Amino acid sequence: MVIKMIPCIESGIPGFEELTRSNGGTGGIPENTATLVYGPAKTGKSIFGNQFTYQGLLSGEPCLYITTDKGLKQFETSMNEFQWPIERYLEDNSLYVIDTISDVSKGKLPKSKTVVQSYINNPTDIMVKVGSGVHYIYRNNPRFRSVIDSATTLLAYNDNMLIIRVLKAYLMRVNEAGGTPIILYTENSADRIVETMLKSLVDNIIRLDGKELVVEAMKGIGKRSSPYLITDKGIEL
Amino acid sequence: MIQTIESGIPGFDQLTVSELAEGGIPEKSTTLIYGPPKTGKSIFCNQFAYQGLLKQEPCLYVSTDQGLKQVQSNMMGFNWLIQSYIQNQTLYIIDGISQLSGAKLEDTNNIKSSSVGNPADMMVKVGIGTRSVYKKSNHFISILDSLNTLFAFNQEQMVIRILKAYLRRIREAGGTGLIAYTEGVTNSDTENELKSLFDNTIRLDGEYIRVESNFEDYEEVKSYESTYIITDEGVVVNGK
Repeated sequence: MVIKMIPCIESGIPGFEELTRSNGGTGGIPENTATLVYGPAKTGKSIFGNQFTYQGLLSGEPCLYITTDKGLKQFETSMNEFQWPIERYLEDNSLYVIDTISDVSKGKLPKSKTVVQSYINNPTDIMVKVGSGVHYIYRNNPRFRSVIDSATTLLAYNDNMLIIRVLKAYLMRVNEAGGTPIILYTENSADRIVETMLKSLVDNIIRLDGKELVVEAMKGIGKRSSPYLITDKGIEL
Repeated sequence: MIQTIESGIPGFDQLTVSELAEGGIPEKSTTLIYGPPKTGKSIFCNQFAYQGLLKQEPCLYVSTDQGLKQVQSNMMGFNWLIQSYIQNQTLYIIDGISQLSGAKLEDTNNIKSSSVGNPADMMVKVGIGTRSVYKKSNHFISILDSLNTLFAFNQEQMVIRILKAYLRRIREAGGTGLIAYTEGVTNSDTENELKSLFDNTIRLDGEYIRVESNFEDYEEVKSYESTYIITDEGVVVNGK
């Protein structure tokens, strides 16, 4: 499959650009398209999302990060494990976090314009926060990234078709504003119909199984795969 | 002989030649194109629509998965430029999803914004749209891409009812309808009912294309199969 050159952004994953390179293209994640990263539990999906986020921050692209699995503190800790310190980006407001886990009233969240609390069982509230998050980020830089870690928890706490609609709305909003979103999802955590819906929502599909990273679909290229390892630099192909 | 229209898909018209038809998409019929996610269904739809536009055949395009902007940019990736057809109003678009992104869409003569979660409004717009393209020509194409989002936003039986009404409108006006659907987003009963509503089905699985045409007047069912690939020309049936 060779389609006219599609502009890509750097994934931050060593080897990924080479794997996804097409004729004349640079490789990476096609800009302004939606990607699903899925696979069994503990195969590195969150690490993929974090790496993607950090690469963006390094290159001056802000990120809207929606965390449903870990609170902000845990997120920071897991970033630090790989020497991806995010404190600076929280301070300069280029990292915008919607935390649906930590409780702000217990003082677990810092007071900041770009750290916002929401609730895992309240998708409407999450969408409102996403709306203002996209608006805030877009004003400062129309080139931005967004990550949801993960759809799994959202699906577990809410009606599944409602979450499919919420995710569709999320992707439409981010795309409209020019951003590049990634959704993380643990395989088989919802029924087959929901999983197929999820795949049909996105442009690109990447599967991690612990040994191999498979690009099952990507705008402009065909199916590709490579073995991977998780090292102290994150995922490496 | 059954009248057909050129599909615009290299190799497809040769594949579907029979003693009944010349090959291509049977004119004034309805076709369901289905298969797993990311197998080229939307590309097929766009390719077919573009082929018609090139020959100045009007097209009613109902987009529920992607906003008009994204459809346009996806088509541009294949060098299928539709701006001039929007301007000369050969292409009539019902955008059922952009509202969801919070974007303000200005309705024009031939671009109408609707909402996938509001089937009544969608059907009103389809009615107006059908009349508009029908006035231009009684040979028109209608694309619906895709049923998935309709299923995500509405009850299954509601979607089936909308679809029946939509297909009836297209048939009455003499249009040729192509409707996309991702296999596996409803249960198998609904899926079977869905397939039974169409004259033809095309299944894409990433490797094979399988076409089944039910020519009722001749009491014959024809089926064809081939491999296909996706290139910078779109879907290419390469007959291996």
